[in-house]
Amino acid sequence: MANAFVALFEILSFGAIIVLIVLGLGIIASMMGIFNFAQGEFVLLGAYITYLGHSRGLPVWIGMAVAPFLVGLVGFVLEGLLIRRFYAAPIVAMLGTYALGLIIRETVRGLTGGLYLTVPEPIGGSIDLGTFHISAWRFTIVVITILVMGACHVLLSRTSFGLRVRATLENPALARASGISTPLIYGATFAFGAALAGLAGALIVPVFTLFADLGIRFLIQGFVAVMVGGVGSFIGPVMGAGVIGALSAALPWAITPVLADVFVFVLAIAFIKIRPQGLIAGKRV
Amino acid sequence: MIADRAQLTRRRFLSKFAFAAGAMTTGAGSWVIRPDWANAAEGPIKVGIATDLTGPIAYAGNADANVAKMIIKEINNAGGLLGRPLELYIEDTASNESVAVGNVRKLIQRDKVDMVLGGITSSMRNAIKDPITARGKTLYIYPQLYEGKECTPYVFCTGPTPAQQCDEFIPWLIKNGSKRFALPGANYVWPRTLNAHARTLIESHGGEVVFEEYYPLDQLEFSSTVNRIISNKVDMVFNAVIPPGLGPFVKQLNEAGYLKNGGRLSAVTYDENMLNIHQANEIEGLTSCLDYFSAVAKDDPVSAKIQAAYDKDFPGPFLFAAGSAATGTYRGLKLWEAAVKEAGKTDRESVAAALDHAKIAEGPGGPAEMVPGKRHCKMNMYTAVAKGGKFEIVRRSNQLVDPKEC
Repeated sequence: MANAFVALFEILSFGAIIVLIVLGLGIIASMMGIFNFAQGEFVLLGAYITYLGHSRGLPVWIGMAVAPFLVGLVGFVLEGLLIRRFYAAPIVAMLGTYALGLIIRETVRGLTGGLYLTVPEPIGGSIDLGTFHISAWRFTIVVITILVMGACHVLLSRTSFGLRVRATLENPALARASGISTPLIYGATFAFGAALAGLAGALIVPVFTLFADLGIRFLIQGFVAVMVGGVGSFIGPVMGAGVIGALSAALPWAITPVLADVFVFVLAIAFIKIRPQGLIAGKRV
Repeated sequence: MIADRAQLTRRRFLSKFAFAAGAMTTGAGSWVIRPDWANAAEGPIKVGIATDLTGPIAYAGNADANVAKMIIKEINNAGGLLGRPLELYIEDTASNESVAVGNVRKLIQRDKVDMVLGGITSSMRNAIKDPITARGKTLYIYPQLYEGKECTPYVFCTGPTPAQQCDEFIPWLIKNGSKRFALPGANYVWPRTLNAHARTLIESHGGEVVFEEYYPLDQLEFSSTVNRIISNKVDMVFNAVIPPGLGPFVKQLNEAGYLKNGGRLSAVTYDENMLNIHQANEIEGLTSCLDYFSAVAKDDPVSAKIQAAYDKDFPGPFLFAAGSAATGTYRGLKLWEAAVKEAGKTDRESVAAALDHAKIAEGPGGPAEMVPGKRHCKMNMYTAVAKGGKFEIVRRSNQLVDPKEC
């Protein structure tokens, strides 16, 4: 019984981590129609900023609080300088953002000397429940993920900003004619997606240590999650991420980890074959 | 005054021109470090280093290249080898075997080096040994700790083998109270071969292996593993998981209360670089067995001198650490120097014959000598315990430990 509880918590917490990482990716993919291959590196930047703050002697949570804003700013600037030139050509956008990611990744590798570096959790240790223990920080991540997810949903579905974003996605020409500044909306949406990635990076760096390939490690899983969930809505990629994250954490309990790793992708491919539109089809919030 | 400046400019121009010419002839990713003196009669002896200057294990490759620069400079300052200066050629193997083979061919065919030292992972060694020794007809020295069983002619290994790392270490762990072992490892040749060796030792010394499992190299989530370790009442995790999974694995193990309930950690890869991966309290009491720790320098003046010389020349992030193959690189170059001195010439057959029984009296961690006919190296081994984020030496071998290979 205790065992099953621990297993459930671990599966939930890894699912939450993947959801957190995919949130930004999903928003950019669904709301802008761009597959941002640099998203993993935005996660890495968030992690790196947190490390940088910590290594300068600041409390870790300050770095974590600042990271989303800084990464969002980086995203806004990059959108203005580069990404907006790619909207007409999604394939070029993939290559362009991949190149961007490569530059960020190798720069961070240079700055960290290619080492693996630890960052302490602001809330460390474990919560003891009788004979078994669950990680306090992973529990915090689950809570923050739920809050952020809810906030994003409210932002996109209930606010005038969300309405503008959806309008811009649906019919840019009409949105412009109605007085919405679409370039600004695109910039803001991209910055928001980047900021979410930065937040994810900041929160997961105590769990996974800082290393240059941190982002790329989750990028493939992130894209599979978006495919499984379905592009076009906010809720689709989030659900896909939950499924992929939970599967990756759950399968090693049942079969050998080397096979489990492959099996997640086999299942995902089979699912996409049966239901190409993903879990949630069409344009909804 | 004006004449002075003109001369300075011309000299600067010449040196810049030489640098540009060097860059043009060698191409990107190649570095040549020429001695500042020359022997016109015979020309320099060429030393080739092929190591991972870029990619995921660049921290190790750069440390190895630094060690090579330091030693070649020392030898040149002391008058060179056989009266000839040494010229150092460094190529990047980029943690990518196909790139590496191309770059190693450059060393052999274009630069015509007299010896190649390098490669860190076993897959890299396997990729470049044939281009060097068979087609390239050149001597190859492999400096990293590894799983053993490398018996190719003209390949000399100067890092520790499983026998050197485990044969005294594991019985010592069992004697100190560890009975139920878990052997988690990354899914490739080194952990699997190492664990096979460790399992034999554990079982023959009264311990028990209750758990052995392998993971994809980039796995970051270990909850099921940790759960099995806890529920099987393991008291010693003999760890062959590598980064990036290593940090999350140890953290999850701790959060599940493993250390708190008396469980202990050990590994034969932990050097000073690995301490960065964890919070100090997560690996309190971890034991490691290697041919060198910087803590050895406290009691050994020779090691202290080498460590100080390295730290002075290269104060950056690339540490002089055993797990990076930095000590193996030191040993390899010094043994090769001794062999060339004895042979009196630089052709492959004569140097290989001399290197077969070469000895050095001074190296990091103590003296070292090749075991005749085995192409592996005897060396001192040290056991260290992590305390408060630093290693303390708790045990050292009584004599040079035999690699027991080939």
